[in-house]
Amino acid sequence: MKLKAFLQFSAPSNLIMVTLMIFPLVLAIIFGLNYITFRTILEPVFVGLDNYVQTLTDPAFWAAMRWTLLIIVIVVPAHIIIAFLEALLLDQVTGRIRGVYLALLLIPMIVVPVIGTVVFRQLFDPSGLIGWFLREVVGRRFIYTETTMKTLILLHTTWIASPFALVIFFAGLQTVKQELVDASSIDGATRLQQIRHIIIPHLRALFLLNAIISVMDFFRLFDNVFVLTRMNPIYHADTILTYNFRVAMIVNRLGKGNAVAVLSVIFIMVALIPFLYYMYREQIQER
Amino acid sequence: MRPIKHPIARFFLHLALWIVVLTSSIPFFWTFLQSLKTKKQATSRTPIFLFKPTLDNFSKLWLKSVPDNLEVLAFGLIAILLTLILIAVFAKRLPVSRAVVNGFIVVALVLILWAIPKFVNTDTFYDYFINTVIVSVGVVLVSITVASLSAFALARYVGLAGVVLILLALAFRSLPRISFALPYYWMGQITGLYDTHFLLILTLAAVNQPFTIYILRSFFMDIPREIEESAMIDGASRLGAFVRVIVPIMWPGIIATALFTLVLAYHEYLLVRILASSNWTIAVAMTQYLGGVSVSGSLPLQSAAAVSGAIPLLIVVLIFQKQLVKGLSAGAVKG
Repeated sequence: MKLKAFLQFSAPSNLIMVTLMIFPLVLAIIFGLNYITFRTILEPVFVGLDNYVQTLTDPAFWAAMRWTLLIIVIVVPAHIIIAFLEALLLDQVTGRIRGVYLALLLIPMIVVPVIGTVVFRQLFDPSGLIGWFLREVVGRRFIYTETTMKTLILLHTTWIASPFALVIFFAGLQTVKQELVDASSIDGATRLQQIRHIIIPHLRALFLLNAIISVMDFFRLFDNVFVLTRMNPIYHADTILTYNFRVAMIVNRLGKGNAVAVLSVIFIMVALIPFLYYMYREQIQER
Repeated sequence: MRPIKHPIARFFLHLALWIVVLTSSIPFFWTFLQSLKTKKQATSRTPIFLFKPTLDNFSKLWLKSVPDNLEVLAFGLIAILLTLILIAVFAKRLPVSRAVVNGFIVVALVLILWAIPKFVNTDTFYDYFINTVIVSVGVVLVSITVASLSAFALARYVGLAGVVLILLALAFRSLPRISFALPYYWMGQITGLYDTHFLLILTLAAVNQPFTIYILRSFFMDIPREIEESAMIDGASRLGAFVRVIVPIMWPGIIATALFTLVLAYHEYLLVRILASSNWTIAVAMTQYLGGVSVSGSLPLQSAAAVSGAIPLLIVVLIFQKQLVKGLSAGAVKG
């Protein structure tokens, strides 16, 4: 295909990208330099870098950043290990029951995240299953405190993120060369050794892919934190995005909200550079 | 790996699978039970598993007032839906082509959704449901049309511009929604499109499009170039070859990607919340039923809303489950 045909075919998509992605980002940078609220949205006041300085000196911003990074550090490995084990188990099953298992395992991913979180939280209500279990069996009432709330967020994020990783691992397991595994069996390799020396190396790219996708997704975690905490500040459980939402929509500082958004875009871009470089090399080789 | 043969090992294998399956699905079954209870049963301190189910919460959620002949109407609706399902199942045996049958089913569904408020006095939850249908179907149509053209170009063009475009799409996919949402809010206010379906469809299609392109491209890469080249030798333009030759071959891949886009659009919370004040989708409307910090106030109603919001998407996904899994893994495993 010639460059001209390429540009013609991709023109509608490029038009959307320029008008609805690049232009808004430019707008966000401009808004970040102004004092705007929802009432004064049409008459911004230029304040220079004030919003950026205020954000970077706001302890709440850094607390949100630390909490988001903690979620990433804990949940990324946790959900990848769980999903990998689930995929190994599922790979052992054949026939119709496999489809049933897979369908049930995918539910947390398909149900609207907001609804999934409501459902998850109901379990911990005084009338919920886990609330009842803790009270009757463990002998403790479940109370929402900063610690329990943060634990819930970690649990729920793992719960909702593992199905996607599972699908990818499961698809990857179908491409493992059976002859290789059989040959290793003849040489006396145990199942654990096969997993360690054949399967994990074969799926290395998928481990990397899952890690990258989940780092990007957890960096913009919003829906479940929003519903679990109901934006109540006593839990100190703001992620970067809920902090951003609070500044823009609740405190009504649209300019500062945009500054926070621009800062988080910069952070994500910096974190993305190794991945983009990896993709770039791969794309160049493909051609 | 070869399946384990040892019977005791297999027992533990299935046991382990059931444990993970139940942890992922029990919360939903619990909420489903809650939605069928009265308020007293739902807030009972010891969980109740055996009770006489009631549909009151659902009628309270969907209807403003309950008409006297509700049973007749519900029965009629179920009968019509069953007829449509039968038509869909036996489409192959009918003397008309598949496209005609599908078109008929789509028209019938639209007519049903349009006609329901004429017969019963529906509550706002029904409006939210209709908004969700309009917005997610709109997003699928716009982003699939635009993205498949671009993905095709990306799969065929070998120059540097292609690499730049695909990297740009990946970078955009990973940006937080809010960095677009606040400027969109301003653009919506300036153009007067705030709180319209049009703005929601356009912006949601724009933010989901990069990922759509990425998945579709991996499908297009599988199709050998010779196919459209031979069509072009026969005198078709490249666009003609694309529409008449490539798209029919690609149809399963397009369905998978469309389904994935549908799920993303249906799930969206933040953008809709910021860009609409009344034309909400179900994801945003859900937060109305959350109550304050103590939630016991309307627990069964909340559960009914959760079930009603989740089920339409679950049905669609269950019908196309194989394609969705294929689409998810195709974008990932190959890319």
